[in-house]
Amino acid sequence: MVDRMEKRRVTIVATLRNSIGAVVIVGIALAALVVLSLLLSETPMKTLRYFFLGPVQNTYYFGNMLNMAIPLIFGGLGVSLAMRSGSFNLGGEGQLYSGAFVATISALALARWGSAGVVVALLLGTCTGGLLAALSGVLRMKWNTSELITSFLVSNAVVLVVSYLIAGPFMDPATNLIATRMIPESFRFTRILEPSNLSSALFAAVIAVLVVHLYLYKTKSGYELRLFGLNPRFAAYGGIRTKWYQVWPMFLSGAFYGLGGGMAIFGTYYACMKEFSTGMGWNGLAVALIARHRPGAVIPAALFFAYIESGARNAMLHSDVTFEIASIVQSVVFFLVTSAVLQKIGSVQRRSV
Amino acid sequence: MEHAVEMRGIVKIYPETGLRANDGVDLTLNKGQILCLAGENGAGKTTLMKVLYGLEKPDAGTISVMGNPVSITSPLQANRLGIGMVHQHFMLVDDFTVAQNVTLGKEPLKGRFSYDLKGAADAVDAVIRKHRFSIDATKRVGSLTVGQKQQVEIVKMLYRDVDILILDEPTAVLTEQEIESLFITLRALAEHGTSLILITHKLHEITTISDRVAIMRQGAMVGDFPTDSVDGKQISRLMMGQSVSLVVDRLPYTPVQHPVLRFDNVSVLKRNQQRPLLNGVSFTARSGEILGFAGVGGNGLGVLEAVLGGFLPISSGAIVHKDEDISRLDSHALRKRGLAYVPADRLQVGSALQAAVSENLIVDARNEFSRHGVMQRKKIEQHAQSLLKTYSVKGSPSMPIGTLSGGNIQKVILAREITQYQDYIVFSEPTWGLDIASSRFVYERMVQLRDEGAAVLLISSNLDEILAVSDRVIVMYRGTIVAVLESEELRHVTKEDMGAYMLGLRQQEAPHG
Repeated sequence: MVDRMEKRRVTIVATLRNSIGAVVIVGIALAALVVLSLLLSETPMKTLRYFFLGPVQNTYYFGNMLNMAIPLIFGGLGVSLAMRSGSFNLGGEGQLYSGAFVATISALALARWGSAGVVVALLLGTCTGGLLAALSGVLRMKWNTSELITSFLVSNAVVLVVSYLIAGPFMDPATNLIATRMIPESFRFTRILEPSNLSSALFAAVIAVLVVHLYLYKTKSGYELRLFGLNPRFAAYGGIRTKWYQVWPMFLSGAFYGLGGGMAIFGTYYACMKEFSTGMGWNGLAVALIARHRPGAVIPAALFFAYIESGARNAMLHSDVTFEIASIVQSVVFFLVTSAVLQKIGSVQRRSV
Repeated sequence: MEHAVEMRGIVKIYPETGLRANDGVDLTLNKGQILCLAGENGAGKTTLMKVLYGLEKPDAGTISVMGNPVSITSPLQANRLGIGMVHQHFMLVDDFTVAQNVTLGKEPLKGRFSYDLKGAADAVDAVIRKHRFSIDATKRVGSLTVGQKQQVEIVKMLYRDVDILILDEPTAVLTEQEIESLFITLRALAEHGTSLILITHKLHEITTISDRVAIMRQGAMVGDFPTDSVDGKQISRLMMGQSVSLVVDRLPYTPVQHPVLRFDNVSVLKRNQQRPLLNGVSFTARSGEILGFAGVGGNGLGVLEAVLGGFLPISSGAIVHKDEDISRLDSHALRKRGLAYVPADRLQVGSALQAAVSENLIVDARNEFSRHGVMQRKKIEQHAQSLLKTYSVKGSPSMPIGTLSGGNIQKVILAREITQYQDYIVFSEPTWGLDIASSRFVYERMVQLRDEGAAVLLISSNLDEILAVSDRVIVMYRGTIVAVLESEELRHVTKEDMGAYMLGLRQQEAPHG
């Protein structure tokens, strides 16, 4: 019993130490935000107030912030899965956008299916994202091309193709927006915090985190994936199918992006607008980096990111901060989280043998 | 004669293992002399040369170059002092030309910033012509043969006006003709006044090329002679040492055996290489015996390990396990058939350092610890607990294995593989870097496995170990089997005889294991 508590204490201490890096990053990012506001705003106090308190001042903003975190959670999970297996997926933008698009047009085509249609449409979107990413995995397995480059390039091309499809064959002539038709009412997720946009997709995101956690740490496949990521030579030596684990994690990674795209449409947008998801893929990557590829940490990381983003929007609306300044602040955050040095602060160093 | 290099009392201790790689070593190199530094693997030759080249910082000792005491802290500084080193593994950029590779880091400039490509090609061409190398300065390095690449490495050093040149096992990857032309080059260099140190453990090379030979064993200098005053036997005796210090209790060798694993004329030839890594190797590993594979590093032991582990496909021949051809199987398929294997590289191959001990323990038995794809945490934990206890490993199941000591990591690997084995088990360099107690533990386990009826394949460049535990011994030299020693022969074989086989001085007629 005592032993058990001691063990728990050790785990908690280790977790805290491992989190120091993340805390430092958040701290520096917030400090940068203050400094930038002082420099760039005529009314820094007002700006800061909206930046920090804006997202939580009422249900509307708070709900929207949570809603914004949903695709980030899916993206963060996707990236984490790839990273855990030692692969890089930089194609989130295209995977999410195409997943959203395919889910939308499927929903339009399956309008009469009702709730079964929701599942099928989302699955199709998920598979679209997954297959796009898996392509890079296959290329790596066959010809040892860098999946980092190919996923990025494929994604860039796909974004243009999807934009063309939305603006061309699938455009809804009834609106002025460059967007597809709206999905049927029966496909839309319920709003759970009126008047905000927050929908029940939030529950799906939380469940997804749980599923990924269980997959990575409780299943045989997750075990093999992690070992392959930690040491591919050891995995091969132990008889793990290394070829499979160059493709499968990429598929999963893209699939979560695709699902995130579908969720954004069904929960928030209801129609696939041209370039509606710009930035979501990259932000998912940032979220995974802050979370250090741990599925459980993806939720707070995504919330942090959404908080910064909606803070920036709030400051934009209510004070003299421009869109550019808000973007600069976000860029600073992104820059900081990608610094591996800061990530390592306080983490338990492995003994060199 | 003036000394080019004088090293006195060099001590180098690796803090990770506490290993005294160099224990008060003295070495002098005269100007224009070719010195061979000989010794078994792990004797400390490379460490000593790394100290001279500024790659390792010595814990004690002094170095003087051309009579001046110096402290060498980096290869760059070594270059400035006129010392150059050609590593065993080439450090070249395949997509650059010879001239670009050679001038890398010391590029001739046009103006202040722009790289003078033409000037580089001319300068390198001048060096090549002066020393009569056979390479073209404008050719892409990727298109060269192994021998030519080595010439590029040497030219790289000569371009930097090096007059003391260290070559680490320069002949390891060369064909006979390439070795011959290398030796002509080296002699010409020595005549020009360059002083050379060759790290090698090949006797005939020592006698053909060197003026002097220095022999190291277990971190100490055990001999230093003019080459014409010693013969091969003497050198080999000094390299191998005298006594077999390891004795392991075991049951007498029982000849009631059946074949388990058979190699039939197996060869491995890699693309772009003329020399096969394994050349027509045939043997049979039988149940209830420890079959030892002896050899000096680079003569095929590592390749044999890779083939047995399923990492390296064979080019011809067949591998047969229990009457089934397993030549084409990869690690995954071999593991399914019950391959158990303790790899030489226990940190990079044998474990995932950041993963928990318990996770490391089940890698080849994943299926036994999962039901419907879900890992059985309790069972894994108990399995780890009991193995750690049986093998007296200091550590707990949830610790990352990388936090354990080298000896304990090896015990974890042994525990895993021994639990997993079905009828044969491969040990490669199982005691490398381990202390005496841990080594003893490994030997006892091997003998126990043999007594249980396993076919134990022991691949080791440690001759003491081979002689102490093997029931039969196969000696490899340049990828072929040069001798097979049956148990009765092993009783009266001397290390000198073994050394002669291992160093290619002697060969049995048509050996078949």
